[in-house]
Amino acid sequence: MLVLDQIHTYYDRIHALKGVSLTVDKGEIVTLIGSNGAGKTTTLRTISGLLHPRMGSIYFEGQPIDHLPAHEITRLGISQSPEGRKIFARLTVRENLELGAFTRTDRAAIREDMERVMELFPRLRERLNQRGGTLSGGEQQMLAIGRALMSRPRLLLLDEPSMGLAPLLVDQIFRIIRNINEQGTTILLVEQNAHVALSIAHRAYVMETGVIVLEGPAAQVLASPQVREAYLGG
Amino acid sequence: MLLPSVQRGLRIGAIAFAILTYLVLVGLPLRLGDLALPILAGAMALFFWLALRGGKSKQDVFNRQPALLFTAGLSGGLTAGLLIAALLAVFVNLTSSGVRLQPIFDKMTPPNLAALYGVAPGAIVGGELSPLAWLQQALLLTVASGVGAALVLVERWARGRPTPRISALRWIPLLLPIALFLFVLWLGMPGVTFGGNNRGTIRLLAAMVTIGAGILALRAAHPGRERQLLSLLYLAGVAYLPFTLDQFQNSVLGIVFIFVMMGLGLNIVVGFAGLLDLGYVAFFAIGAYMYAFLSAPFSSPWLSAQLQSLGIPANAPLLSFWMALPITMLAGWIGGVLLGIPVLRLRGDYLAIVTLGFGEIIRLFMLNLAELTNGPRGLLNIAPPYLFGYNLGNPRDIFILGLIGSAVIAFSAYRLDNSRLGRAWIAMREDQDVAQATGVNLVRTKLLAFAIGALFAALAGQLYAARQTNIFPENFSLFVSIDALSLVIVGGMGSIPGVVLGALALKGLPEVLRGVDEYRIVTFAALLVTMMIVRPEGIIPSTRRRRELHEEAEPVVGEDVPSVLERLAPELKSDNPDGGKK
Repeated sequence: MLVLDQIHTYYDRIHALKGVSLTVDKGEIVTLIGSNGAGKTTTLRTISGLLHPRMGSIYFEGQPIDHLPAHEITRLGISQSPEGRKIFARLTVRENLELGAFTRTDRAAIREDMERVMELFPRLRERLNQRGGTLSGGEQQMLAIGRALMSRPRLLLLDEPSMGLAPLLVDQIFRIIRNINEQGTTILLVEQNAHVALSIAHRAYVMETGVIVLEGPAAQVLASPQVREAYLGG
Repeated sequence: MLLPSVQRGLRIGAIAFAILTYLVLVGLPLRLGDLALPILAGAMALFFWLALRGGKSKQDVFNRQPALLFTAGLSGGLTAGLLIAALLAVFVNLTSSGVRLQPIFDKMTPPNLAALYGVAPGAIVGGELSPLAWLQQALLLTVASGVGAALVLVERWARGRPTPRISALRWIPLLLPIALFLFVLWLGMPGVTFGGNNRGTIRLLAAMVTIGAGILALRAAHPGRERQLLSLLYLAGVAYLPFTLDQFQNSVLGIVFIFVMMGLGLNIVVGFAGLLDLGYVAFFAIGAYMYAFLSAPFSSPWLSAQLQSLGIPANAPLLSFWMALPITMLAGWIGGVLLGIPVLRLRGDYLAIVTLGFGEIIRLFMLNLAELTNGPRGLLNIAPPYLFGYNLGNPRDIFILGLIGSAVIAFSAYRLDNSRLGRAWIAMREDQDVAQATGVNLVRTKLLAFAIGALFAALAGQLYAARQTNIFPENFSLFVSIDALSLVIVGGMGSIPGVVLGALALKGLPEVLRGVDEYRIVTFAALLVTMMIVRPEGIIPSTRRRRELHEEAEPVVGEDVPSVLERLAPELKSDNPDGGKK
């Protein structure tokens, strides 16, 4: 479904991604783990068009997308929940969700999807008319994921959904992520919290300073001594 | 608790004294004439009311106990009064001993001060004022502060009533514009002598307040039949205004509504899309000059030469006002896109600086490209609009055209705000990255904001050129941009009715206070600073902006805020009547 082929991305002269290749197949949860500064978020931003690779190509459902601007990539069916829960803090929860459906014009179906999001995250229903910025960290994360779902993506990009959340909430969010995947959305999950990410993913890639150093089925990656030592505390 | 409330009173009193001194310095009392004393006392009562009610936290501490409230109020009144009396004493002594203050403070004339104190000017000049007269003002201000404190109590009582919706008090804002309108009509009747020399100014002020009160009344009315009826009455009243006002009043309101047109355009750029534009005058100038070229080609050396070489007589307008409209609009649109393209990647401060430069470039261009624009000598003899051979260039008809133009632009802006493009602007204003990730085409959205805003400014510019008939580069200085931006901010960013109130306050009031006009910038500054402290969201904030600036009002779970989507498609709301609450 999504193929990255030898992607090189730069921030001016800083070489951030040095030939990243990965694939995500339909129906999968694929996780990209790695420490701070490994290039995980850069990879996601390159896929979603907020950054453009200097070399290499990205295909989504066979179509090259590496040269497209972000808003057109969203229209193709890739939706991103950005890092650090970038919600519209000054707009209400409802307006946040509505803006998530910006690319769509089928109002009745938007309404249905909003219901679906609120079934996934009942807390959002209670907060519907509240400003996004007044939500708790966990609720903001739910809102960010919910907003990304509102465009009916076929591929959902999640950037660090566990960041800054209490362990109990992390479990809850990841259960919902698996739930979303079971309902048919393919997910590419970027995480620092390798343990939880590997526990729900089908396949995993491990990244270090701009290159993929390990890949394989999640269980296998979880068992690899390299990962155990580096990310799971031995 | 007694001491803090006295301290608070002292502070309020000092501020009241500063305000009164300021009013003397700008010469307001003299302009008000015989009405100076009652008007100033009324204004001070209002000031004490606003100062005493204070913020929410202060209300809790002081206002629960009327005794403390009155302590604060009366000590404030007394402070201000004694300070005023002291100033008077100093002034009278200086004057009687021959010191002239006028060269330093040009408005510190004995008549001006006498008007403030309500005494005879001769008494001040001669220094024969009895100590009792000095204390008269202290007494008056103490009474005013008492009235202010009482107003706080009345307000609390009115707010505390269980069902304010059916209370008779609700009718006051609704009927106020009607009463004011009747007052305007009455003032215009022959034989009425109220206000003496100032009658025309008072009438202008009353007409402006009527328009403002009408807008507030429309917002206070319940949606549905009540609001429809009120809107009809309001429209009829406003449509009648140009026919009852005199030339001067119409000409002031004409310029006010030209600024409303411009403000509505700037409101799209700054309020809706969040792009701070400090060079907005550029588009106003483009509209004015474009119409001038089309209407008075003979004023431009280069254009008349070109026309002559083509064999077209250059001594008459090329196009009429109406035929020029689409061309002016197109010119504004192109100007907006031309500014938009280089600033696509800029945000915030950088954007403000570049737009500032753009505004200056256009002005310098008009000034120095003398072959085309006739430089500082300007373009002369621009034709007024004609309709069926009837000349619409007089102040009354320009005011009517301004009203129509403002209505059309306001309606367009309202529809845009509730459109898909409006939502894209909101998303872009809040967070450009996330907006892009949710599918907003930033380039298109940004350029459209600049282009549409510029188009409206160009329309305002064309009407301005037709009104002035002669335009010069100095008509399009940075101050026009600042005026337009100030009125948007004072009115309430992103709020359409706010723009009208802002224009009335910032373009209309200085005309009413013509004696103060040379202090206009100071007045602006004082008004803006006060506004931003007391009411940062503007006179009539947009719903969203109010939410942004008043966090203590959260959460609004109980209140069903109409969402963007529901305003777009009200029929959807009926499937979910409780607004999604459980």
